[in-house]
Amino acid sequence: MATSKATVHPSAGAAAAASRSAEQALVDRCRRGELGAFEELYRAHSGRLFSLAVRMLGNPSDAEDQLQEIFLSAHRKLESFRGESALGTWLYRLAMNQLLDHVRSRAARTGQLTDGLDDATVLADAGGHKLAERAIDRIDLERALAELPEGCRAAFVLHDVEGLEHKEVSEVLGIAEGTSKSQVHKARLRLRALLSKRSPYDV
Amino acid sequence: MTCEQHLVWIQEAVDGTIGSIRRAELDAHLAGCAACRALLDDLQRIHDAAADLPAIAPPDRAWLQIAGRLRLEGRISADAVAARPARRPYAAWLAIAAALVIAAGSAVMLVVPRNTPPSQAPAAAAAASTAGATPEVASVEAVNAVEAAQAQFEKAIADLEKVAKANQQALDPNTSATIEKNLGILDQAIADNRAAVKSEPASVAARETLFDALRQKVSLLQDTISLINEMRKGNNAAAAQLVNKS
Repeated sequence: MATSKATVHPSAGAAAAASRSAEQALVDRCRRGELGAFEELYRAHSGRLFSLAVRMLGNPSDAEDQLQEIFLSAHRKLESFRGESALGTWLYRLAMNQLLDHVRSRAARTGQLTDGLDDATVLADAGGHKLAERAIDRIDLERALAELPEGCRAAFVLHDVEGLEHKEVSEVLGIAEGTSKSQVHKARLRLRALLSKRSPYDV
Repeated sequence: MTCEQHLVWIQEAVDGTIGSIRRAELDAHLAGCAACRALLDDLQRIHDAAADLPAIAPPDRAWLQIAGRLRLEGRISADAVAARPARRPYAAWLAIAAALVIAAGSAVMLVVPRNTPPSQAPAAAAAASTAGATPEVASVEAVNAVEAAQAQFEKAIADLEKVAKANQQALDPNTSATIEKNLGILDQAIADNRAAVKSEPASVAARETLFDALRQKVSLLQDTISLINEMRKGNNAAAAQLVNKS
């Protein structure tokens, strides 16, 4: 199921600015009820949003259900798209709201508390825990990601995995840029602690 | 400055946002501090490994479900849908469906050829021969071709389902449950799209989406049978590849 990651993210500078009018035209066609236009929009963004959903929710089945809700919600809310941000950023924001709501309601249902990362924990993670010299295994990294509290997981996935700048992460998550930095930094330290505990033979 | 105070600079170095003066100060600290060097190295590796994580493509059926629900919610304009050009002539769908029936037939021996190219199917020639027909004749032929293609798909599905069900015990219960769940989702998409075709007989996109859903069900059944084959042969690596693919 893996595909090559998109190399262009929502703020790819001048190219993104030049594509705004094409995006607006596509949005207008979607608003008129053209299924083909909405399929075009879906094909352009579903890969990134599905990856985001899998990494936020930790399983592809939930991610598939939520992807459906994200695009249905996008279709309903396209009326409110004003082109102030790139369509990709707007979709990321919508998707992240949906995914975080889902994570929180799932946690409430199952009684699982998503603990925050206090500064003492983070500083403890900064000491020791040297990673083994071997390359970081992709599956280990995905598993460790799933153990992060949702706030710093969201910032980390958007920044380090998807390649957004902190300013864009702050727009998507509706947080201050400084908060985005501290969340990503905490996530990296926690990941280091989690990965250093895994032996190469862990299943 | 202490190691704790250098932590933010280490993170900024990984972010690629540290200024040159701070970087020089950080380098001076790193020269004498093995723990901070190790920390920078680890965080950089985590960042790089995260950036290398591949994008994950959603399954094809996800779009079918979205399109089906948009139709059910009445959010698709019939005019706009009808104006959309057909991506594939109906006769070509008939050709694919006909090829699938042959594939389904050979599945009885649990050997299923995949991805039969439409161009090799005899009905493709028939599609070409209708090119010069009058609009009325072409329209009637198109409707007939759609109905015939649907019937062919349904026959292929029925044959494949029979084979898959008869041999399902070769699969472990979890895999079997996942396949059942996916078949259920596709059945729902097929039902939704069939209802859409019924309510909008002129909609090109509605028929296209219905055919996509039918084709995906055939494809899932073919994969299931291939998986059963590999499990029976004890070829776990090939079986795992099939499971990952789906």
